[in-house]
Order: sequence, then structure tokens, then C-alpha cells
Amino acid sequence: MRSADRERVRVEVVHRVVDGYVRQARDASDGFLQRLVNDTLYQERRRLDQANPRSKRTKAELALYQDVQRRLHSAAETTVRALLEQLATRFVDEVIGNFDDRVYRLSTTLIPPGLSLLVNAMSPRRLLDLRRINRGLVDQLKVQGEVEQVRRLAQHGTVVVVPTHSSNLDSIVLGYAGYRIGLPPLLYGAGINLFSNPMISFFMHNLGAYKVDRKKTAKLYRAVLKEYTTCALELGYHQLFFPGGTRSRSGAIEQQLKKGLLGTVIRAYTNNLIAGREPARIYLAPCTISYKLVLEAEALIRSHLQETGKASYIVEDDEFSHPRRVLNFLFNLTSLDDEIAVTWSAPLDVFGNRVDADGNSLDPRGRVVDPRSYVTRDGVPYLDEQRDVEYTNELAEAVCGAYLRDNVVMSTHVVARAVFALLRRRNPTHDLYRLLQTGGDAPSFAMAEVHSEVERLLGELGREDVPRPRLSPLLLAGDVQEIVADALRHFAIYHTRPAAERRGDRLFHEHRNLLCYYGNRLEGYGLAAE
Amino acid sequence: MHSRETVGVVGAGSWGTTLAKIVAENGHEVVLWARRPELAAQLNAQRHNPQYLPQIALPAGVHATAEVQRVCETCRLLLVAVPSHGFRAVAREMAPFLDGEHVIVHTTKGLEEQTHKRMSEVLREETPVRKIGVLAGPNLAPELARGQPAGTLIASRFGDVFRRAQAALSTSYFRVFSGQDVIGAEIGGMFKNIVAVAAGIVDGLGLGDNTKAFLMTRGLNEMARLGVSMGANVLTFGGMAGIGDLVATCASPHSRNHQVGVRLGRGESLAEILGQTRMVAEGIRATRAVRAFAAQQRLQLPIVHALHRVLYEQTPLDEAMRELVAAQSGDEFMGLML
Repeated sequence: MRSADRERVRVEVVHRVVDGYVRQARDASDGFLQRLVNDTLYQERRRLDQANPRSKRTKAELALYQDVQRRLHSAAETTVRALLEQLATRFVDEVIGNFDDRVYRLSTTLIPPGLSLLVNAMSPRRLLDLRRINRGLVDQLKVQGEVEQVRRLAQHGTVVVVPTHSSNLDSIVLGYAGYRIGLPPLLYGAGINLFSNPMISFFMHNLGAYKVDRKKTAKLYRAVLKEYTTCALELGYHQLFFPGGTRSRSGAIEQQLKKGLLGTVIRAYTNNLIAGREPARIYLAPCTISYKLVLEAEALIRSHLQETGKASYIVEDDEFSHPRRVLNFLFNLTSLDDEIAVTWSAPLDVFGNRVDADGNSLDPRGRVVDPRSYVTRDGVPYLDEQRDVEYTNELAEAVCGAYLRDNVVMSTHVVARAVFALLRRRNPTHDLYRLLQTGGDAPSFAMAEVHSEVERLLGELGREDVPRPRLSPLLLAGDVQEIVADALRHFAIYHTRPAAERRGDRLFHEHRNLLCYYGNRLEGYGLAAE
Repeated sequence: MHSRETVGVVGAGSWGTTLAKIVAENGHEVVLWARRPELAAQLNAQRHNPQYLPQIALPAGVHATAEVQRVCETCRLLLVAVPSHGFRAVAREMAPFLDGEHVIVHTTKGLEEQTHKRMSEVLREETPVRKIGVLAGPNLAPELARGQPAGTLIASRFGDVFRRAQAALSTSYFRVFSGQDVIGAEIGGMFKNIVAVAAGIVDGLGLGDNTKAFLMTRGLNEMARLGVSMGANVLTFGGMAGIGDLVATCASPHSRNHQVGVRLGRGESLAEILGQTRMVAEGIRATRAVRAFAAQQRLQLPIVHALHRVLYEQTPLDEAMRELVAAQSGDEFMGLML
């Protein structure tokens, strides 16, 4: 964010958040603001209990909160408001961080060399191999779909890129894919743990990242974050949201999105209309990133299985925190083909309508419709929270639909799914966890069995009556033997243990968690349960 | 500040005409759309609906037209009361003149036959409108047209839809409840017609109140199971659009579906009956649509099944009845327990 805007946004965010709460307080029972401040302090202290007590930041934060707590005691209402402002300011300062304008400008032209910097930061000695990695990424990254339209819309209005999320590499891959199609730089909320990772912090700043601390659970913090993205959108900053919130733990395509962040596009659009800022166009560009192998697959599926249902679980120690694993992964990329597909879906307006080449919203039958009409009455725009919650739900549905259509299924997904289906069929009485742990009765399957199961799956994925994913070129070619061989080659090169391995004419399921993870990529297509 | 708006009523059958009358009595201007220009002209000239609601005078605020463009461009709140088989075509006609400001509350009871889609889904597919609601409840047109007290449900995901439709429709005798369960309201309104035909058959056969209560209660159960399988809230079926509408429709001599059932019970054939009535008995078509949908979803709906056998498979009434009764036993709320 440009520094002139930064100061403006900083003031505006605090003002809007605090004003919003003061308005709410008028309709609420006495002591509403006081409770809000108290709640913030409580949530923050709980968080700090888990933090490193010796870190300078923890100490500073604790001191601040103690001070606020002391002043809150028997404070007059104006003082409470001031304390709220102080806390909100502290949060917004952390979110915005201290970007350097010059670095930001530089970075917009430096994304691919940035990748080299990333690798450089990790291991200066391997500098010589940089050319190989860069070339690798160029070769391995397939950018496809509605590229031209997304690029055009970025000139007509503000674009919010909303990709699927399976890896911390996503933002880098996307930064690069965006650069390759000529997209302007994107503002992006990166997890604060990425900033504490020294090798990546510099790089994140350069991408135009702001900080998001998912451990901060206070309502006030969430409100500040939402208002920050809203303000940035109103000012026309193109953004990158991962609407699923975190990386997909199970490996499945996101079908549940975080509505809070997604909803900011509708709020920003309406705010701009009300303020008379024209043209107030904001577009969503759903985008599906498909990897044949996922860097953090093992840690993600582990946490999914451990914490099924608990979205609050945050993976900190994963493959991404180990430079050697990242390098290993990146280098392996270069040895195989067709590894990462970035597919741009047809862009949407903020209500989930498709848009044409000029950015006009289209109704379901392709007629041009004025998007302003969704938030106006007799032509006058107005805010209505309940209405916007529903619009956000409908937008989320449209985005998830795009994910399912533009997900690129690769050999690893189909083969993992096939082997897992065989496992399930062989052991009908085992529940999932027991099956994962023990592997059931048979440690291996005949290759012929695997081939025919893959064939069956490909047939199902080709059905007309259900949503269909895209298939990678190898899958489209349809040579089952080659598909299985390709998947096994991949399983062998990167993970600590291969997901499955061929010995003679039998296939051994070695790392069933991984089979489950990669196979989950085919959830949502109504595949018969084996 | 928006309490008086010009309201469009699409469809000038007995229910559409009744809605127009209620809204106009509430002090709103009403544009009432009739497909046939002759009917629109008659409505404007004679101030009553000679075909569908002959005894009821239309208030001065009702203006009939046969131009769909006019009703869409004059009105932002539209009440749609056309039969389910013509619903998509009407939605298509309206669509070019609609935008995101429009609010549509439909009162159509049925599923689309080929697609098994609900009417709100059809609206979403054909029009740019998002603010969609459904009105359903024990609302027999002739009674309401005479100003007898009644209640109804307007269900929508958008609070705005309810507020505006309520402002248009709520009178001292017509009480409007709000809900969010669009699916439940649509399924309740649709399914009660099926049960009403079956209840009519029971009456026509001369069977007693025990049998009718048995059938209606199991009918409510089937309604709820179908609805829940589509994502409805089970509580909706205990409300206006569920039991409320079911009781009224199964008991009333005004209900076309019930009438058709009575005549079937007395031994007339479906072809004979349909040849003699101008009005639409939605339950006949709904039986076919629901039967196909249930088969696809592997849902057991014995009443729908039996009625389908009678209506479309030439099964004798006593045989279908025997089968139906034999199928009823076991855990009363199977498939509905949380």
C-alpha cells in the first residue's frame, strides 16, 4: 500500500471500527464498550500465555494491556472509547506493518527474481542452481483459463483474486502466475508466522503482504482486519484472499468459505456507491491451484485427522518451516512435467454474477444487469447487513462452484483415490482411522486391479450429469498404465515415504494418510462410494 | 417511508385476484397482470373477475394489464401467482424487465415436472432477481376474498422481502408470519395438494374421520421427510405452510385438489374430471413430479406412491388403499429424528 494511503487507511479503519461499536453500544445494555475492551484484553492475555515470555514483543504487549486494564477500571465513557481506540490502533498498526514504498515499487517489477531471492535467502551456496529453478517454474507452471478477461478487468476495476489454498507456496505461485499474465501486484494478508520465518519475511513484504495473526481471536481484531481490507478495496487495491481461510487440511477443494472476509467485497462496493466513487467496480477472480504434489501434504493431513472439525488448529511446524524440504520440493519440481496448474475461472461481480469482457454483470441467462440494483432502493444505495450476509452466501456458492469446475485433476489424485477405494472395499468393516492406521487385511493390490479402478474413476469423472473437474493432459490421454506409472514416480520423489509403491506386479499402499489426502481432491463430484 | 408502494400481482386466477384485492384494500396501488388481454380488459371494465372470482368486487386501486413489461417496470414488489406448469415461461417473459431491486414473492405450489426444481430455483435460473420469497399457508381464495380471518407464512432469506410483502399484505384479518425456510414453505405448499387429493378420495369412498386423520397425519410425515431431504427445517411443517395449509386443503370444499379426490373416490375417472374443470388441480401434476424425484432419491413415500398408482397406473382404488394401509407401521418418526 502506498504510504499516503496507509496513513489514511490507518485513521479510517480505527474511526470506522470504533464508531461502529459506539453505535452498537447505544442499542445495547450498559457497559457494552467496557465489556468489549475487557473481552479484548482477556483474549489477548490468553494468547500471550502461550507466547514466548522473553520476546520483546510479548513484553511490550503485556505492558500495554496492563496499562489499559488499569485505566479501564472505573473509567468514564469517553475514556473507554479512547481505550478502544488505542487497542484498535495497535491492531491496525500491526496489520499494516512498515512497508517501504521504494521496496514495494521495486517488488512489483521483481516478482520472478523475487523467487530467486527466496531461494537465495534459503541457501546462498546453491545460487548456481537458481537458473534451473527459475526455468523449472516457467516450465512447470501451467497458467490457463480466463486469463485474458482477468487481465482486462484489472484495468477496468479492482480485482480480488480468490484462489483455492493448499500450500504456503500458493501465494508465491500466484504472485508469479499473476506476473506472467500481466496482472498488477496484489495486496495480500499473510499469516504472521510467515513473517517470523526469516527466509520468507522479506519476500512476503515485497509481495505487498499485510499481517494476519490467526491466533488473535478478539472480536476487535477481526473487526479491524475486515475494515482494513474493506478500506483497501475502496481505494482500488487489487487483493488476494484465500477465502477458505487456511490451507485445506483434508486435501479436498474448499466447499466452505470464510464469509467474513469474503463479505468485505460487497461492503466495499456499497460504500463506494454511497460515497459516489465511480466507477465502483470490484470483480472476483476465482482461481484454482492444482499441484501434483503438495509441499506440506503430510503435516496437513495429519492435522486434519487429529483435529477433524476443529478449524482453530494452526499448523506451525510443517514442511514449509524446514528450508531443506522446501528446496527439495522446488528442485524436484524441475525434474518432472506439468506439476502445477493455475486455472483462472470466469470472473464474477461481487454478487456472484458472471461478467462479460467489458466487466458488465450478466444475469443467469447472459443478459446485462446493473449490479448497483442489488444494493439500491429506488436507485439509492444503502447498507443492510442482513441482506449482505445472504449475498455473501450466494457469492460463496458461486466461488465454490467455480472451484469444482476448474479444479485440475492429476494422476496423483486419481491413483490415490483408486487405491483408497480398493482399501475401503477390501475392508468394509474398518472405520477410516483404523484403516489408515492398520492398512486392513491386504498390504498390496494387484496392478491390474489398480488399473481397472483408475479406469472406472476416469469413467465416473466423465459423467455428464454431475459437476466435472478439468483433467490434466495425461488423464485426458487416458492411458491408464501411464497414469498410474506417473503417479507412482511422483509419490516416490518427494514425500518421506511414498504414498504407494510398485513391487513386481503388485502395488503396496505405504503411506495411507497421503493416499487419503490426494484422493480427497476428488470430493464434491458425486463419485459413487466405490 | 416505503409503506405505500405500487405492487405487481402476476397471474389473475382466483388466488392472484384475491391477493390483488387484499393489497389494494391495504391502500397500495396494484398492477394485476393477466395473460389474456380480454381478461385484463374485462377486469378493468367490470371490476370483478368473471371467470375465477365472480362475486367479489375489485377495489379501485387494482389496474389490470396484459403487458408483462408494464407490471415489471412499474412495480418493484411482485407477487407471482401462476400455475407451476407455466411458471418458467412467465419468469422468462418477465426477466428482461427485472433487476436486482425487484422483490418476488411467489405463491405457486408445485415442483417443475422435468427438473423437479422448486419455483424459487426456477426464478434464480431465469431472472437476475435475488430477493425471492414464498407465500404459503391455509389460504383458500374464496374465504379470504370475503375477508374471513386467516394467517399465512412468507419465507425468505432476505428480511427485506418479508418486511415489504408484509406491508403489502397484512390486514386486520390476514395475518402474516415470517420465516427463513424457503424450501420448507415451498415443499409444504406443494405437498399438501397431494395429500388433499388422497384425503378427497377417502371422503369420496365414504370412509370416516379416523381414516382421514390417519392419512393426513402420515401425509404430513411424508411431507416432512421429503422436505428435510431437500434441506428444509422440520419445524416449518408444524406451521402455517405445513399442517396449517394441510388441514385447510384436506377439509375444504373450496379446494380443487380435494374436489378432484372426492370425485375420484366416487368412481369418476381422472380424464372425465379434468375435462370438466377450468381450474388447475396442482396435486395431480405434483404427484407425478414427486414420485419421480422420490424414486431418484430412493425416498419411501407410500401415499405418493399409492396416489400415483391410482392416477397414472390405472390401479383400482381399493387395491391401492389396501397397499397403502399395509405399508404403514413401525417407528412413527423414522427419518425425522435428530
